[in-house]
Amino acid sequence: MLEPKQMSRAVIVGHKSIFEETVDALHKANLFQIEDFNEDESGLRIGRPFENVDEVSKKLIKIRSIASLLGVKDVVSKKQDKKSVLSALDDTLNKLDAELDVKAEQKSKLEAELKEIDSLKKELIPFANISLDFDLYHGYEHLSVFSGYVKEDVGAAVSRITSSYEIFYDAKESTMVLFVTKDKAAEVADLLAGFAFRELRIPNISGMPSESLSRITSKESGLLKQVEAIDAEIESLKDKYAEFILASNEVLSIEAQKSETPLKVATSDSTFIIDGWVPEEDYAELERIVKAATNGRAFVSKQEMTKKDQKIVPIEYNNSKMTAPFQEIMDLYARPTYKELDPTALLFISFPLFYGMILGDIGYALILLAMAIGIKKAISSDAIKPLMNILIYCQISTLIFGVLYGEFLGFPLASLHTEHGVTEGLIKGFETVNLLASPVGDEMITFPVHRTHLVMTMIIATALVGFIHINIGYLLGFINENRKHGISAAIFEKGSWFVIEIGLILAILGYAAVLPSVTTILGVVVFLIGLVMLLKGEGIKGPIELPSLLSNSLSYTRIIAVGLSSIYIASTVNLIAFEMIWEPGTPIGGTTIFAIIVFLLGHGLNTALSIIAPGLHSLRLQYVEFFGKFYEGGGRKYDPFGYIRKYTEE
Amino acid sequence: MVTETITAMDPSGLKAIGAGIAVGLTGLASALAERDIGSAAIGAMAENESLFGKGLILTVIPETIVIFGLVVALLIK
Repeated sequence: MLEPKQMSRAVIVGHKSIFEETVDALHKANLFQIEDFNEDESGLRIGRPFENVDEVSKKLIKIRSIASLLGVKDVVSKKQDKKSVLSALDDTLNKLDAELDVKAEQKSKLEAELKEIDSLKKELIPFANISLDFDLYHGYEHLSVFSGYVKEDVGAAVSRITSSYEIFYDAKESTMVLFVTKDKAAEVADLLAGFAFRELRIPNISGMPSESLSRITSKESGLLKQVEAIDAEIESLKDKYAEFILASNEVLSIEAQKSETPLKVATSDSTFIIDGWVPEEDYAELERIVKAATNGRAFVSKQEMTKKDQKIVPIEYNNSKMTAPFQEIMDLYARPTYKELDPTALLFISFPLFYGMILGDIGYALILLAMAIGIKKAISSDAIKPLMNILIYCQISTLIFGVLYGEFLGFPLASLHTEHGVTEGLIKGFETVNLLASPVGDEMITFPVHRTHLVMTMIIATALVGFIHINIGYLLGFINENRKHGISAAIFEKGSWFVIEIGLILAILGYAAVLPSVTTILGVVVFLIGLVMLLKGEGIKGPIELPSLLSNSLSYTRIIAVGLSSIYIASTVNLIAFEMIWEPGTPIGGTTIFAIIVFLLGHGLNTALSIIAPGLHSLRLQYVEFFGKFYEGGGRKYDPFGYIRKYTEE
Repeated sequence: MVTETITAMDPSGLKAIGAGIAVGLTGLASALAERDIGSAAIGAMAENESLFGKGLILTVIPETIVIFGLVVALLIK
């Protein structure tokens, strides 16, 4: 449970005539991770892809481009038979491709037209309010036409140059059309330059501008409707063919993967050698499958694992179904290496434990539990499921601590005795029970534990929890070091920490007069012995890390600190809603509704924070404080040759 | 005649100020550290999305500073 799966290095050798059968069988079995072959002095060569590779990859590219064009997404669908998919593949693919081509062509044609209309519209709009037929703008022998933007009405200024002119001016668009005789054209042009005249192109159409505008606008909306219709048709194509596309993509991907396998394998003129990894427990199964597929003509053999192999062996977790979701958290950090302990099972306990200790509220636990179960039911994604499982475990732990703390959405469930008197809890008549006097801070340990009134005790308690957690880490480090470098390295590198801790504890207990004062001296001696051991084990780096013993333990006080901040947010929301806005017992009115809104929004916000803050801090305690003591990681993921079929079956 | 007025400070007020300073300054310190880590983490994630987990954890690391501040504030109370 605390170790990754044992792996075996296996080599499969056979004649080339059974190459395809062997690859086929291996792919189906999905057990064997093929180790890429690098050409060396041995005279073996990398194999050639199987014959159908060109055709398959051509079709695959087509399918994938169609899929991305249509935006086909993963859907849950009935598995289709591989043979029927393959037999229908060519025809359906060609048909679909042709249909899509037609649609795409129609669409691009329409879009080109739309673009044209759009630019015409832009030219037309400035003239929209000038009721002058576009035919009248040109074709004169003795007249010059100026049309364009101008700062202001230039009629008065032009009349000073010549009396024979005609002007149309639209103040709204600042557009002007001016007709003058040719002999005065140069003078008028000079004048217009003073008015910031900018010439506009006259649209190459005839008719009144406003009429033309409304005509092309209606044409544009017609075209847009056609584009929409084509989009809808493409969408219906997507619905119709989505299953086919997904299934054939899968079948073709598998074929392509198989056809390219020889590129990873060593071959000679007539033989092939497939080298790779298989979990120890599946070795017999692998042997059986290969033998069965080739009538015993391929030879499978187990190889001795060398020191060099141990660095490259792929790692497969070996966890029960219950603890498996926490592999996601491990992967987020790094996979363990082959000789290392796999702490997934420990995370299964400590991660929800810390999460629950931080949040510890019945109300939030129930909300988040319902949410996690709902999301798990609604979304079938493989990436989401383990995360939701982790969340569910965390909420169970939160529920337990919620009962222990007696909290519901920031309200204390039990009554609260303080020096200012007794405050009734949410459950009437639920009295707080005094258990025993806390050794620190003049506090009384009670059930339920009122965190807000037991701050000192809780700080010490959480630091102690941290101390234990860290020591479990050192213990694991000891085991790891023993496996990697032997017992003496383990004692000096990790064991020395225990000696130092024992020394410190003895010294403190002696100093505090719990034990006779001789123990102080004894403690110091033990501490110094530990320090020397640490120096030998880790060199100068060891003593530098010594203060981290304290800071790491204190880091666990975040369990109470983050927890308190969440309580304070919740109780502030409650205070605002139920005491400042609406006093319970007063008549229900508009303020009640406002109070309810504040209550819901506030707790909604705090619920979101309740996933992020305890989750991240619990995670951080694992990664930084705990893993820092023993974990290196960096293992390679076990990725067997094969494919998990989602849409098709053999 | 010269009179001397004695102004007594309420100790609980001073405690509150102390607690406020503890949380406020450590909060600022965490924020400064997290700003740099956060932007670097986002940069790294843009290059390689699988670094999300590590980036997230690195971003939380300086939170210890403000947590200690919070603990000190709780102790002052």
